Amino acid sequence: MIIEEHRGEHPGVQDGAYPSASPAARDKSSSDTPGDPVIRVMGLTKRFGGVTAIDGVDFDLLPGEVHALVGENGAGKSTLMKIVHGLYAPDEGQLEVEGRQVTFVSSRDAEAAGVAMIPQELDLFPELSVAENLYVGRHRPRSWWGGLDWTAMRTEARRQFETLGIDIDVTLPARFLSTANRQIVLIARALMGDARAVIMDEPTSSLTEREVQRLFEVIKDLTERGVGVVYVSHRLDEVFTIADRISVLRDGLHIKTAPVSELDSEELVRLMVGRALSELFVRNPHQHGSIALELKGLSRSSEFTDIDLTIHRGEVVGLAGLIGAGRTELAQAVFGIRPVESGEIYIDGERVSFHSPQEAMNRGVVYVPEERQSQGLILPFPIYANITLSILQKIARAGFLNYDRERKTTDRFADALSIRGADVSEPISRLSGGNQQKAMIAKSLACEPSILLLDEPTRGVDVGAKSEIYRLIDQLGQDGKAILLISSELEEVLSMADRVVVMREGRITAEFDRDEATQERVMAAAAGVEEKAGAAEL
Amino acid sequence: MPAGVRTLLLRPEAPALIFLVLLAIVLAFTAEGFLDPANLEDNIARVVVLGVIALGVNQVVLSGEIDISVGSMLGLCAFAVGAVGESQGGLILPLLAGIGTGVVAGSVNGALVTLGRIPSIIVTLGMLYALRGMILVITGGRWITNIPSDTRALGLQSVAGVSVPVIILVVLLVVVELISRNSTWGRNVFAVGGNRRAARFAGLSAGRTRFLAFVLVGVLTGIAAAIYVGRAGGVQTNAGQGLELQVVAAVVVGGTSISGGRGSSVAAITGAVLIGVILNGLVLLDVPAEWQSAMLGALILLAISTDALRRRLLREQPS
Repeated sequence: MIIEEHRGEHPGVQDGAYPSASPAARDKSSSDTPGDPVIRVMGLTKRFGGVTAIDGVDFDLLPGEVHALVGENGAGKSTLMKIVHGLYAPDEGQLEVEGRQVTFVSSRDAEAAGVAMIPQELDLFPELSVAENLYVGRHRPRSWWGGLDWTAMRTEARRQFETLGIDIDVTLPARFLSTANRQIVLIARALMGDARAVIMDEPTSSLTEREVQRLFEVIKDLTERGVGVVYVSHRLDEVFTIADRISVLRDGLHIKTAPVSELDSEELVRLMVGRALSELFVRNPHQHGSIALELKGLSRSSEFTDIDLTIHRGEVVGLAGLIGAGRTELAQAVFGIRPVESGEIYIDGERVSFHSPQEAMNRGVVYVPEERQSQGLILPFPIYANITLSILQKIARAGFLNYDRERKTTDRFADALSIRGADVSEPISRLSGGNQQKAMIAKSLACEPSILLLDEPTRGVDVGAKSEIYRLIDQLGQDGKAILLISSELEEVLSMADRVVVMREGRITAEFDRDEATQERVMAAAAGVEEKAGAAEL
Repeated sequence: MPAGVRTLLLRPEAPALIFLVLLAIVLAFTAEGFLDPANLEDNIARVVVLGVIALGVNQVVLSGEIDISVGSMLGLCAFAVGAVGESQGGLILPLLAGIGTGVVAGSVNGALVTLGRIPSIIVTLGMLYALRGMILVITGGRWITNIPSDTRALGLQSVAGVSVPVIILVVLLVVVELISRNSTWGRNVFAVGGNRRAARFAGLSAGRTRFLAFVLVGVLTGIAAAIYVGRAGGVQTNAGQGLELQVVAAVVVGGTSISGGRGSSVAAITGAVLIGVILNGLVLLDVPAEWQSAMLGALILLAISTDALRRRLLREQPS
């Protein structure tokens, strides 16, 4: 780490990698000027290839406050936080920690300076115990002969959880922990390093209501100890519950920072989206035809149980639920990626059973996966080769490719879906997230499907591309395609679907017609609670 | 930088090719006899055997797998060629015997990797020992020495002043590169190696694609065996020993990514020629035998590190 002395008042406070003094004791020594920001960034800019992820962003975090950072997918929240945590180096701008300008080369530097992050992906080491996980990347206590001092490690780990008021078996391998407990371990791990600031990136995305409450208690406890918390989320009700201040990012720009009392949720949505929500969604009413896809009692061990579902031609069925409810697994089973263990699948009234995606595609079923980079695209390939990936056999004659015809097919789809940003012969990695998403959908449409299984089709794309994808879904519905829209964004499901089906823990728990479906009802069915104030998720 | 030069430098085999040219120039001035026709002739067969097999292994590596069984596979195929040649004579029958043996061995590799879902490094490591064992069991340690000259045609003859092995290598390079760039299978190899999951989700058969790559190694090893036998005139039980690592080195040094999805047939051949030239140069420069392995290793590392230089020149992100 390179620390440039920016002001004279704090010489060398951060020296010594992981001092074991309690956070409270540290508090006195380091922030002698109360209200001095723990983190301050000025004019931060980061570009990836041709895409500007964040553009001249200012942000600051005071000790003892919860500062919520909100914005749509792709607004730049995660990028900003990854820079603050040393994962990315900024292209422009300054970063100050406790008044001193710093340049982080790695996350380790950030943690040494007192900035901890609880990442969106819960990356614990599954085979190591909870106690060992706390000590990964830190100085571990040694016994008299130089070996690891397990007793000291466990004792220290237990004490760490005690201060958080949580009971957890520190000798348990991490893979046995529930998602919520993994989150707790990561929080404990972050605090081990005597953190002055803790960044939480979408911490509640896979937690139940009760677990969220427990997390909030932990956060309150942290702020009382003078730790600043950056709370990255797009769940507005949580933001209004926990935050002191809110900053809004949109398309990489800093839009506004204000105390929570000066904002209401309508205003916040407008700031995040940049326009009223109603303009974003496009849905024209149209006729539904015969039943295209019917599932009867479909089950697969621990993933989903006894699923009955029908989709008509021209109908968009929204499949809502929390992460881990079994929606992706269900769609992949229909597509032939995961074997079905019992139950029946009918297409146009005819019983089918697919053992590979190839068989499903031959019957007009396509699945557009949620993980664009790892499941959807061949990143080193040019755009055209990605779009024609599934229809190569059709374009080829006797197994040999016809580049002319391939090019024409590609141009047609690139035009129809307005894929912009690069020539079709350039690597697909040059495209922005939204255009990559469109190319992935184009790949599926090239198969001329009659049934589309769309898994989170607008994840990680900007508002413009989102609106285009909604228009496309609407158009496909009008063309008589049967569409299953899996989405964790309630607003999207409610606005786009003709019918909403809700899954929880592998079962269908509710089904609503378009006019019956409300945020509260869908959320209650997804979380397994009777009518309650549902989490408003954008 | 002119666009043409940039395009050339962007090709995967560019660093190896540049290094090869530089090395050849240095050897032409320092190593006496490097450019003598007799010296070139002596080394051609070795480079061709290495190159032909590397063409096949290159496709396996592109598909995200690896094949380190080819040393023993070449030995077994050579015995098939030699034995049939010894008893039947002629060229076609022994050649088909070699190819057939290679196809069977390659199919076993492919089936164990794709149907058995065993990592290819383990499968082909096992096959490396198993096939060598088969040679010893079948032959009982006997060498084949009486191979008629018509069986040896692929190693000995030349057409219009160009030796047959070179012609075979060039023809196979063109054929394999054409298949690689212009067939659906060739495209699928790159797709499966670039992102197997996405390829599967797109409806490609990752199993069939990789299986065929292993079979291709068998076919090419069979052809290489006919050249090997033709050149050597006999087959010993240790034929092809150690070749497997030279082949993998050729593929990777040539510029094909060991993690799959990026590379070319030209890269594999460039790598094979480079390794042939290095080995030849070490002999001509009278490098003591005990130093040759160390020098070969050092030069391979040097060749690969020019790739970093190229990336810096082009400001390319590491893949």
